[in-house]
Amino acid sequence: MSPAVHSPDDPIAALATPAASSALAVIRVSGPGSLAMLSGLTAPSRDLSGMRGHTIHRLRLRDGDEDVDDVLLAVYQAPRSYTGEEGAEIFCHGSLPVIQRLLSLLIRSGFRQAGPGEFTQRAFLNGRMDLTRAEAVNEIVRARTDRARGLALQRLAGAVEERIRSAREALVDLRASLEVMIDYPEEETGDAVDDVRLQAAVDLLSSLSRGARQGRIYQEGASVAIAGATNAGKSRLFNAMLRQDRAIVSEIHGTTRDWLEASVNLGGVPVRLYDTAGIRDSLDPLEVEGMRRTEEVIRAADVVVYLVDGTRGVSPEDERTLAGLSGPAIRVWNKADLPGLLPRPEGFLPVSAATADGIDSLEAGIVGAVLGGDPRDSSEPLVSSDRQRDLLDQALAALTRFSQARTRQVPPDLLAVDLADALEALGEMTGEVTSAEILDRMFSQFCVGK
Amino acid sequence: MSHSPSDFDVDAIVIGAGHAGIEAALALARLGCSTLLVTQSLDTIGRMSCNPAIGGIAKGNLVREIDALGGQMAKLIDSTMIQFRMLNASRGPAVQAPRAQADKQAYAALAKRTLESQPSLSLFQDTVTDLIVDSSGARVGGVVTERGRRITAGVVVLTTGTFMEGKLFIGDWSASGGRLGEPAAVGLGTSLRQRGFTVGRMKTGTPARGLGASLDKGRMELQLPDPHALPFSFAADRVDRPSVPCWITYTNAETHRIIRENIHRSPLYGGKIVGRGPRYCPSIEDKVVRFPDRERHQVFVEPEGLGTDEVYLNGVSSSLPEDVQDAFLRTLPGLEHLQIVRPGYAVEYDYLQPTQLFPSLMTKSIAGLFVAGQTNGTSGYEEAGAQGVMAGINAALYLQSREPLVLTRAEAYIGVMIDDLVTLGTEEPYRLFTSRAEYRLSLRHDTADIRLTPAAGRIGLQGPEALERLDRKVRGLEEVRELLRTRKVAAADVDAMAQLETHRGRSFEQALKDPRITIAELARRDPLLGAAAAEWLSLAESAVKYDGYIRRQEEQMGRFRGMEERRIPADFDWHSLAGISSEAREKLQAIRPGSVGQASRIPGVRPPDVALLMIHLKKDAH
Repeated sequence: MSPAVHSPDDPIAALATPAASSALAVIRVSGPGSLAMLSGLTAPSRDLSGMRGHTIHRLRLRDGDEDVDDVLLAVYQAPRSYTGEEGAEIFCHGSLPVIQRLLSLLIRSGFRQAGPGEFTQRAFLNGRMDLTRAEAVNEIVRARTDRARGLALQRLAGAVEERIRSAREALVDLRASLEVMIDYPEEETGDAVDDVRLQAAVDLLSSLSRGARQGRIYQEGASVAIAGATNAGKSRLFNAMLRQDRAIVSEIHGTTRDWLEASVNLGGVPVRLYDTAGIRDSLDPLEVEGMRRTEEVIRAADVVVYLVDGTRGVSPEDERTLAGLSGPAIRVWNKADLPGLLPRPEGFLPVSAATADGIDSLEAGIVGAVLGGDPRDSSEPLVSSDRQRDLLDQALAALTRFSQARTRQVPPDLLAVDLADALEALGEMTGEVTSAEILDRMFSQFCVGK
Repeated sequence: MSHSPSDFDVDAIVIGAGHAGIEAALALARLGCSTLLVTQSLDTIGRMSCNPAIGGIAKGNLVREIDALGGQMAKLIDSTMIQFRMLNASRGPAVQAPRAQADKQAYAALAKRTLESQPSLSLFQDTVTDLIVDSSGARVGGVVTERGRRITAGVVVLTTGTFMEGKLFIGDWSASGGRLGEPAAVGLGTSLRQRGFTVGRMKTGTPARGLGASLDKGRMELQLPDPHALPFSFAADRVDRPSVPCWITYTNAETHRIIRENIHRSPLYGGKIVGRGPRYCPSIEDKVVRFPDRERHQVFVEPEGLGTDEVYLNGVSSSLPEDVQDAFLRTLPGLEHLQIVRPGYAVEYDYLQPTQLFPSLMTKSIAGLFVAGQTNGTSGYEEAGAQGVMAGINAALYLQSREPLVLTRAEAYIGVMIDDLVTLGTEEPYRLFTSRAEYRLSLRHDTADIRLTPAAGRIGLQGPEALERLDRKVRGLEEVRELLRTRKVAAADVDAMAQLETHRGRSFEQALKDPRITIAELARRDPLLGAAAAEWLSLAESAVKYDGYIRRQEEQMGRFRGMEERRIPADFDWHSLAGISSEAREKLQAIRPGSVGQASRIPGVRPPDVALLMIHLKKDAH
């Protein structure tokens, strides 16, 4: 545990909504004394620190003699607030000058600009949430799609924690049965390790770990490059997938000289979609440069959508490019709506970028390729912070060592080292590690003691 | 220190001559403090109130740690054992532990003789009823006895065992007492309560003793000793003692029926006893009630000594009425004609909640007052002895105005135990288990000298002889490791040992990683290895075979040390720690942990509290 070192209890303030013009903006303040400090800025003058928590007040905020804005102010009293401290949320008008003026007023009045994640850190430090939840909050804020937000919300409710606890429970029992063997060698305690429960715990953790990969993709998104020969219809497909005309589309080969980028949400996955310059032999230095840059984009993409003009068929150039791709690729037989369509080779998906026919199945294909399999059941919680993913993998590695060592008849005192590693990693995930519970388990489940 | 030792009658007073008191008194005297050991009866020094055995899992490690520090218990048992077994021989190198049956009378007699012959130590029979405390109430100055004598001293070590306000129970009968037939120490518990100590009640129990001649040994399983006894003390090379067997029998449905039908006559279940008993050493009535599905419970029949025919019935501790004890014990095979010579009973006694102590075992509220043994809520001779030697050492260091010796959880089982006691406190009699130790691969019984003797040497409790012996061991071990690394598997080795085929040309060390190959076999192939002590070979073998585990555990220990090394100043102002939960603040203020690591182990202190503490300490450091 190494939280960034902020002073833990001075009053902080920060803009909670994006720094952009909008109808409303929210500024959040937190910390002991923050309500008294705000009271000094109110007109008509109100004693906010005397107000009940979870109440909303309409008032004006003044900078000296001058009104800055007419605001709604939500008062929170410790410990019943997000951070566990007293604080407030100020709903102000969302124009940039107003926001800036209010923030500078707050700073001048003694608030400190909050660091990134500092509100959540305080919530954690004040025991308002455990680590998995604190991380989930951070992700809700950062989530770029509803699906990602849903996953983070689920973790906020402790779904991951619940699963980890249940796996941990099984391992604690396992540890207790090992320990009873060790501490009571002369007792008839039986020494069967419950393989079924062990396997169930391993399965649970493996499934969380597999899901973690997908979780990362839902969180951070993936890049998808549309590639193919000139005039294969890449820009038209790009526009069709964006549901808007972004790229210039023409019959002229080589219209797109450089790549274009846009964000699109495919089945809940935030995707950065790249339209690239077509690949063909050309001496035009501008086009050659465009193609070099295309190659870079293709190399960096998580998935490549490779378009072939179905009326012209697969050229040797196409074959060369396709053979050179290292990552997953989706082959598209474009212009499937045209009369002169050639027979479609196996492995190509029929699509018409012009009529949008086949785009749904293409998009589903992209999601599958990006996630490395079917999207998981949305009721399954996902682990998606780096810290949690690492700890999960540590626990799984320790359990793998444990199982292998058991088959090699390694004695129980050494087996316990691997179990301890696994338990420590899982305990860290939820922010609690305790060994007293192993003893409790020993005495509640085994009759020992002579 | 405000007083020079000459201001006092003696430097140190130890109250109680049980296993804790013996070690405390000897350590103090050996460190040059004039010491007075006050006991209620000179005839009961070093008595084994319960089972006639020393050692066992984790406990055997404690005995060897006591020895490594310069204590007495290992030497006492080495000279009085009548059976030796190495437990867990098949369950891994880290959890093997020696256990010996003791000749109880011989053990107690030798303990008394050892105390009597110790320079700077005197014995006196009396009962302490109060402490002398200076006018501030914060510093101890001696003791007051039953007959009104005042004896002054710079330090006092309290080791009262089960005697402080002790009360005995058998069925409906109850009486004041510390052990069956011995009076309780009345008055001291009340005085301590008046001085503001949190004093609680605990209970423990012991089984009936029978006459060996009344048993039908043919109907019981024979439990044989190991053929070769090993000494507990690092100073001894071998043990030459008689060796006698134990027997095993079992309870059955009829036993359980009798106990169940009479359970209402138990003082435990009748609500007479308020003190909490040990979960790990339950009475037979507890076992029958809590585990109704168990068809039988194991009972070990252990001789109490060579000079008596009394046997100890290990596993059937009970405070049921005597007629019920008679009836249920006679349902056991071999015990049909059992003649009980002492009934089983329960004893309830005062203990001081050990969170009132610093890790040095000195009380936080009265400087110079140290507490050790069952008075701190532990059970077991070994746990008591280990605290005794630490309390003695630290009382002496305190008199010399030196820093206390505090062992960490990564250094010694003693460190695990004392940290548990002073950090977590205890509500039931505390016993050490290997599972309480996070780093037991590093706490093997046969490395206790490597771990602890150097510190004892610095303090002055171990002399040049012990340090030289340790040096020989450390060097010998390194030579064995070096031999294993350099000696290659040759053709002649493969001819003699077919399993070595796949290791041809590689080092012995690489071959030893093969689970099929033991160091004993390799030692037969090389005269230099063959000449090494068995203990060195065994240590080297585990180091090679379990290298990966040892390294992983060392990583865990590294993380542990990181937290322990974040020290918290003794005068840290817990009020200044803003944002912490009120429960955590209360706990931290009471325990006054010396490190972030210790703070994190306090129940009720949650990870966010620890994070805040770390932030705060970091801020202060700048």
